[in-house]
Amino acid sequence: MQFKRMNMQKISKDKCEKFVKNFTIQSKGGMILGKSEKEKTKKEEGQTVIEIKNVTKKYGKFTAVDNISFEINDGEIIGLLGPNGAGKSTTMNMITGFIEPTEGTIIVDGYDISKKPKKAKKEIGYMPEGVPLYTDMTVKEFVTFMAEIKKVDKRERKGKVEKIIEQTGLKDVERKLIKNLSRGYKQRVSMAGALVGEPKVLILDEPTVGLDPKQITEIRSLIKELGKTHTIILSSHILSEVSQICERVIIINKGKIVAIDTPENLENKVSRKNCVYVTIEDIDNKINTVANNIKEITKIELVKENEDKTKQYMIESDEQTDLRKIIFQEFAKENITIFEMKKPDTTLEDAFMKLIEGGNDDVGNN
Amino acid sequence: MWAIIKKEFKSYFATPIGYIFIGVFLIAFSVAFYFTVISSGNVKFENIYCTLPSILALAFVIPLLTMRSFAEERKTGTEQLLLTSPLSITKVVIGKFIAALSIILITEICTFMYFAIICHYGMPDIKTTICTMLGFILFCMVYISFGIFASSITENQIIAGVISIGFFIITWVLPDFNPNLNGMSFINMFYGYTQGQIDIADTVTFITFTITCIILTITLMQRRKSVK
Repeated sequence: MQFKRMNMQKISKDKCEKFVKNFTIQSKGGMILGKSEKEKTKKEEGQTVIEIKNVTKKYGKFTAVDNISFEINDGEIIGLLGPNGAGKSTTMNMITGFIEPTEGTIIVDGYDISKKPKKAKKEIGYMPEGVPLYTDMTVKEFVTFMAEIKKVDKRERKGKVEKIIEQTGLKDVERKLIKNLSRGYKQRVSMAGALVGEPKVLILDEPTVGLDPKQITEIRSLIKELGKTHTIILSSHILSEVSQICERVIIINKGKIVAIDTPENLENKVSRKNCVYVTIEDIDNKINTVANNIKEITKIELVKENEDKTKQYMIESDEQTDLRKIIFQEFAKENITIFEMKKPDTTLEDAFMKLIEGGNDDVGNN
Repeated sequence: MWAIIKKEFKSYFATPIGYIFIGVFLIAFSVAFYFTVISSGNVKFENIYCTLPSILALAFVIPLLTMRSFAEERKTGTEQLLLTSPLSITKVVIGKFIAALSIILITEICTFMYFAIICHYGMPDIKTTICTMLGFILFCMVYISFGIFASSITENQIIAGVISIGFFIITWVLPDFNPNLNGMSFINMFYGYTQGQIDIADTVTFITFTITCIILTITLMQRRKSVK
């Protein structure tokens, strides 16, 4: 079975390969589907796993989550983004049934979480914020305990616990007390606890907080692998993480959904006008006259002056013509030397900031 | 539910609490045994249960057993693991109750050594012994269930412990000031058992109070889901 290789840092390459290998082993066992099979099932089913309808959560007079509605399909990886206190964790806690919404309904795999909590909760694996664990237990004891409270069949329990410990790379530390583990391992133990019982949906609340870069890459590749077999909801305030892992992003601010879209679309929707950054050497100081002569240019602005007497300008145009060609030709005629010319990078960061500051006027739902 | 009982039971012995609990009890029982049995030369086994050292041990050590149960889970956030699992809150609460009760049972079993020593010198009254032991379990059930309830209302273990100790002392001392409040005195009810009599009314009181506390805890936990 072919697995798509991920961009991984060199330092964690061997670890990542270990994960991939583990998955290959499990795929052979038939427990976890390979990518091609998964895609097939995704297309065939494409059904809604989580449905959130007009959910509101109030704490006294304070509204933490304000009338949100969205749907998540089978097999999707969804990123829940928002600044601190935006209502991400509250939303996740409501989906897992830990707290009840003041209004509205949450349906998980066809079961209403407040009416049929047992069945709905069985389909959810939750990794809470701050990775709470029973630190007096060993890793194996903890995963076994989670299997027990998730009602994994007694005969299969041992094998499944073993499998998950292997899958999350905890084999080496399975007999250690959790309190003696490093943060990265604790995170994995928490992940193992969420994975046990083969839930359809994995809910990960800030899974990479407090990890070092190496551990972050490891956890991310683990999440990506898990995404092939699970529906994942992941909250984060690290935007690059979300754009790397998630297929769709839900941006929440002040308890309201600001946007639901793919990371690419969000970037496109908020990208600036036709804009170019040029660094030039302009000895005769002719830039403004030249710019005025080019009718496509609507705005020109000095960004910075460099020490080597070059200047960087931002040039904007309302028309969708390629400014670079015109600038190149016209500037050359006037003896202005171009050192550098680039388009500004619009990232999810920009999208995020813009959406949070500007409300949701120009970005609609997908 | 079995998973919860097992986990709680293990955690009592993974931390010193289980050992301290049994140790303190056995010291108290030994002191009582010395003064009421050995030095006075009688063969009444029930005496070791109903003297001051044992009652004092109960007042301060039962809260030790119960104060962690929900307070700590809430503080460390592990509560989320339990409440988002398919287990119902009822099972979680009852599981914790049974685990704490099992520690009491172990302590009781340990007291058989005093029974054996007494048997060496003369025959204690079997009926009274059985009544005392049963009474002791019922009596402890009341304070365990209250202790768990106290633990569920706060995330601070110390506060939970102080509430439990306070409750014990109030129910112990108050009837001495006002005889009208005798119905509140669980200790006086327990003394009845150590006389070798099982009073149905007292038994019902013990069980009802225990069930009330457990139901209160469950209701409180469920209620918190919507206000939390």
